[in-house]
Order: sequence, then C-alpha cells, then structure tokens
Amino acid sequence: MSVDFYWRIGMHGDQRSLRERAESRGDWAPHVAGSITPALRGGAPDGYAYIEHMADVARAAESAGFYGGLMPSFPFTDDPWAAAAMLARETRTFRFMVAFQPGFLNPVHAARMAATLQRASHGRVVYNVITGGGGPAQLWWGDEVAHDDRYARTQEFLRVHRGVWQERPFDFDGRFYRVEGGALPDALAAQEFPEVYFSGSSPAAIDAAGRHADYYLSWLEPFGALAEKFAAVRAHSAATGRTHRFAVRAEVVARATEEAAWAEVRRGFEAADTAALRAGRSGDSVGAARSRAFLGGPVNGYRDLEVAPNVWGGFGLLRGGPAFGLVGSYQQVAERLDELIALGVDSFILAGVPHLEEAHRVGEEVLPLLRG
Amino acid sequence: MTELLLRLPTRHGPPTGLGPVPRDVRADHYGPLERLFQTGRAAETAGLGGVLVPHDPLGEESWTVAAGLLRHSRHLRVVAEFHPGFATPVYAAKMAVTLQRFSAQRLGWRPALDGDAAEHAAQGDFLSGPDRYRRADEFLTAAKGVWTRRPFSFEGRFYRVLEGGFDAPLTGWAFPRVYLSGTGEEALELSARHADVHLLGPADDIKAVRAELAGRSARWGRDVELGVELSVLARDDTAEARADAGSDAGPHWEGFAGLGHTLPSGLVGSYDDVAALFDDYARRGVRTFSVEALPALPEAYRLGERLLPALAEQEQARVR
Repeated sequence: MSVDFYWRIGMHGDQRSLRERAESRGDWAPHVAGSITPALRGGAPDGYAYIEHMADVARAAESAGFYGGLMPSFPFTDDPWAAAAMLARETRTFRFMVAFQPGFLNPVHAARMAATLQRASHGRVVYNVITGGGGPAQLWWGDEVAHDDRYARTQEFLRVHRGVWQERPFDFDGRFYRVEGGALPDALAAQEFPEVYFSGSSPAAIDAAGRHADYYLSWLEPFGALAEKFAAVRAHSAATGRTHRFAVRAEVVARATEEAAWAEVRRGFEAADTAALRAGRSGDSVGAARSRAFLGGPVNGYRDLEVAPNVWGGFGLLRGGPAFGLVGSYQQVAERLDELIALGVDSFILAGVPHLEEAHRVGEEVLPLLRG
Repeated sequence: MTELLLRLPTRHGPPTGLGPVPRDVRADHYGPLERLFQTGRAAETAGLGGVLVPHDPLGEESWTVAAGLLRHSRHLRVVAEFHPGFATPVYAAKMAVTLQRFSAQRLGWRPALDGDAAEHAAQGDFLSGPDRYRRADEFLTAAKGVWTRRPFSFEGRFYRVLEGGFDAPLTGWAFPRVYLSGTGEEALELSARHADVHLLGPADDIKAVRAELAGRSARWGRDVELGVELSVLARDDTAEARADAGSDAGPHWEGFAGLGHTLPSGLVGSYDDVAALFDDYARRGVRTFSVEALPALPEAYRLGERLLPALAEQEQARVR
C-alpha cells in the first residue's frame, strides 16, 4: 500500500529556524540584514516577489519526493488559488492542495476555476475544504454564518460544485445556493474532479465529511485520540455508505539523533512566550479546543508538552499553525509515522521549518525509512 | 499614451492531434492552455500594452488564466473579466492582492454585468436589472475598502464586513485598474464611482458619454478615462484587408461575427487606415483600445510590428 506525502507551502513567509520566531523569509517582517526577501536587492525592488521562494519550496518538495503541498489560507496570508495558478506551469508533478472556505466562492464559478486550473496543471489540484474557525476572523472575511450552518453551507457548496461538473445540466434549490441548468463546458467537465480533503472535528463536520470527503483530515493528536476520531468517522460513513481515507497534518523535527531533535525544540521553547499557550480562544473551532485539552497540565519545561513518545504539543509557540508534531531521530519519526499508518492513515501533510531545507531533509532522511 | 489591449480567445477549440506520422513527444509537458499562455507571451514580446481575459461561462476561467499570464510575463497588463457574483468581495480582493504582489501590480479588473437571465441562473445568480449594478457597486466598494483601510466595516444589502481590512505586507499595493462599460444611466454612475477606464463600443456617442461621465465622476472627485472595445482586421493595404474580411467591408464593419469574433463591430483597412481611425478616437479622448483580432497569436505580432508603429506616427503628427 502506498501513502501520499504532502509538504506545506508557507503562504505567510517563513522563519530561518524554530529557534526564533521571526518571519525573515518573505516580506512579512521589516527587511533586516539576512532577510530573504525576494523583491529587494540592496534595498531596491528587483522585479522578484515572494512567490519566487514559494516556487523554490514547491520544487524542493517535488524533487524530494513529496506528492504535493498544502497551501493554507488565512486573513493575513497570500491567497492559495492565485498562487497555485501562478505556479502551475513551473512545477511538474507537485499537487497543489488549495485550502479554501467554500462560503467565499460561488460553487459554479469555483468549479470552472478549478477545472481550468486542472487543465493548466494536468490535474494537480487537490482541495483542502475548511469551514472556518469562527470568531472575528470569520467576520473579517465578511461571513456571519454560525458554526453548524457553515457546515450545512459547505455541504451544499460541494453538492452544487460536483453537480455542475458531473451531472450536467444540474438544478439545485437549497438554503444557500440555487442553480438552474448549471453545467461546465465539455472540455472542463472532462477534467477529473479534485480529491477532497476535509477538516473539522465537530459532529457537524464529521457528518459533512461523511457525505463529501475523500480524505478525512485531522491535525495530529495523541494517537489514541486520533484512533477514536477515526472510529467515529468510520461509524458515520458506514451509515452513509461511503468509505473513507484518513489524512494527518504533522509538524516534524527530525534529526540524526533524538538529542539533536529535542535540542532544537528546547532552544525554540526557551525563546518563546509560553503565555501564548493559554491564548487564542476567540473562535468556535472544535479541533483547536481539542488540541488545548490535550495540554491541560502545568508546563514547567518543554518536555511537559510531550504528551506521548515523540509527540510534542508546543509547536504553536514556535511558529504559526497547529500545536502538535513529531520530534525525534529520523528512525523514531519514521516509526511514529508507521504507527499512524497502522492506525489507518493513508496520507500525510508534513511540514518543517524552514520549509525549503526541511523538505529535502525529511524527504531524504525520514521517508525512506518507512516500512508501511 | 495609448493603451492597446488584446482580447484573448479562451473558448476551447477541439483537441488537435499530430496524426499518425510525426513522432509526438509532447506527452504531459504541454497542456491545453499552452497556446493561450504562448499568445500572452506573444503580446508581451510584441510590445502590446496588455491582454483582456474575457469572462465566458463556456470558456477557460479568467482568473486562473490571468494568474498564469502574469507569472509568465514582465510588462503585460492582464485584465481579468469576471462576474461579480463569483466570490465575495473580500475573497476577490485577497486573490487580487496576491496577484498584484507577485506581478508588479499588473492586474486589471473588468467586472462583467451583462449576460442573459438563463446564463446567470446557470451560474447560480438570480439578480436582475438595476440590482446587478447595486451589487457591483457594493462589491467594488467593499473590495476597495478592505484593500485600503483597516479596520474596515461595511454593511450593505449584499455584503457585510466587520473590522476587516488587509495587514502588511498585503497593504500598499495598487488596487487593480478597473475597466467598466455600458451606456445606461446605472452603468455610467457605476463607472463614475469605480472605473479607471470606461469602455465604449465603436459606434457609441463618445462625445455624449464623455460629457456625462465627466459630470458624474466630478461629483465623486474622480477622473475616468475612455476606451473603445472593437475588432480589428489590418493588413498591408486596404484591398488585402477588405479581401480578408469579405468584399463588402468598409472601414467601419459590423461583420466580424462571421470571422468568429465575439465583438461584431470594428475596423478594416491598411495599418495606416486603422491607425488614422484610432487617431480619430484618440482626438475624442479615447486612451484605451481593447482589441479583438484573430487568430490572436499571429495577430499579436502583427499589431506590435505593424499597427503600433503606425499609431506612433499618428500620435507624433497629432502632437506636432
């Protein structure tokens, strides 16, 4: 059995390392000596832009053996649809996993956009359907729909999206969308419908995933909790008749020795503001609440955040993004990934900071050790 | 300075094979959009001002094509035509700011408000009449708002934003150059409020629209440039152009649909003839020419090699 390994493209710059939380790659922080800001040379605009670095990361992941990369989307990031469309023609096999909230796009137009991107990229578009974390960020986007209704809207979106692509002509009259005679033109409809990675930990999310996802995607959690979550999804999809594949997102710090890996984490932890562990509760994300719950105990040192062997929950302190990742020797990280595969994981979205160099490292040192 | 935009053909033709004889080594290296991207390169290399990527429910999607074109050029302005219902204004602005950041600010927007009711219904859009203009106004207001202000809140009939607005480094980039069109009162008011360029048909009453737009846009403290959108068939001499068009073609011709054009009206003649007709428009205040010429790839070179020098001569003569 083969497993798909994705990497991540930073849509918000990158850090030099996990040791200091400063986005010195890209133009998110003021330019200082040593910044990698493709766009400025000697302080003057040089015709390049941050997308050059994104292209470098995509090519690094591609040549290191990754199947593709997740391109996240937040209010403060660049947009993944636009960036993927720009990068389509200068990569060969790299699949663009575009994160998007269906509520922000018209499902018929989005189908045409995705199908054209399929044509531009030879079918390398993958969806990471996200339904939003609520709170002020949701209103920032101009979206006032409440948590469970957002999942209902996502379901309608995917229904219409697939309908105009595969059941032409398609009529629909729902709570959020109405279409009469929607249909992609033949050349676009001939493109493969992108694989759907679906995130969300709430019952509403699991219900929606059961109907529309190819992969149920979760952040890394302690393995027992993940197994329970997968069991709940399996039970639900048994009821809807769909079979599921599972995917996990995990940060990776892998070094030649376990000591070297933890030393990296320790240096980052000691420089970090640990008060942030208690912050960030403004939204209605169930997944984020679960992550916080796993980190309930007192935190006196960085190893207190190791909730299971090699599973560390403090990554939110060291860089933007989810809390949990794997820390250990190349061999240990490979063993943990193998354990996740044994739990039923069919696909991974891995990431490491800095993304460019770590894509090569993980591709060359960790992935070859997997036994499947 | 005159801006010359070339309209790109985004409707898919039938796939072409090489037949049984040539060894086909293209495999997966060349895809169905290759010709389109090469046409953009041709426009860039030939020195045209830009390209227009039309909104066509039966064609390739314009934002995706525009993103590829911007990535593969350095100078070309790329105007993406799109239906305002395609996304929320915040999301559209977000996509646009990424394209602006990564293209040295060469993106243009052409909101498309026309189309018949059945076409719109198939796109999931049931707005009609003046509401389409009201929504476009809200769309552009909200998109510009999040682009230029933080916090930005907006409460309209179609869109709401609460404490939105971009943060650095998504701030400080030029808003896409906005192209609008139409001769009705709602269209002109929308242009007065939002357009950088208002595009007219070749037979529209330019003088009247210019006066009307000047009055309306002054109330908003704005200035709107004029453009015309038309088909062009220019050849070495008048006779050749007429022969290629069909024998009845005069310099102003309505028969371009017969040649497969989307824009039925346009100009037929020698390079000097067409340059002189462009100059007539320029004297009436037209600064942008959005042109359809087919087949687009060779015509991009023809326009660059032949028409642009003739236009430059006309312009020099006018300035003298």
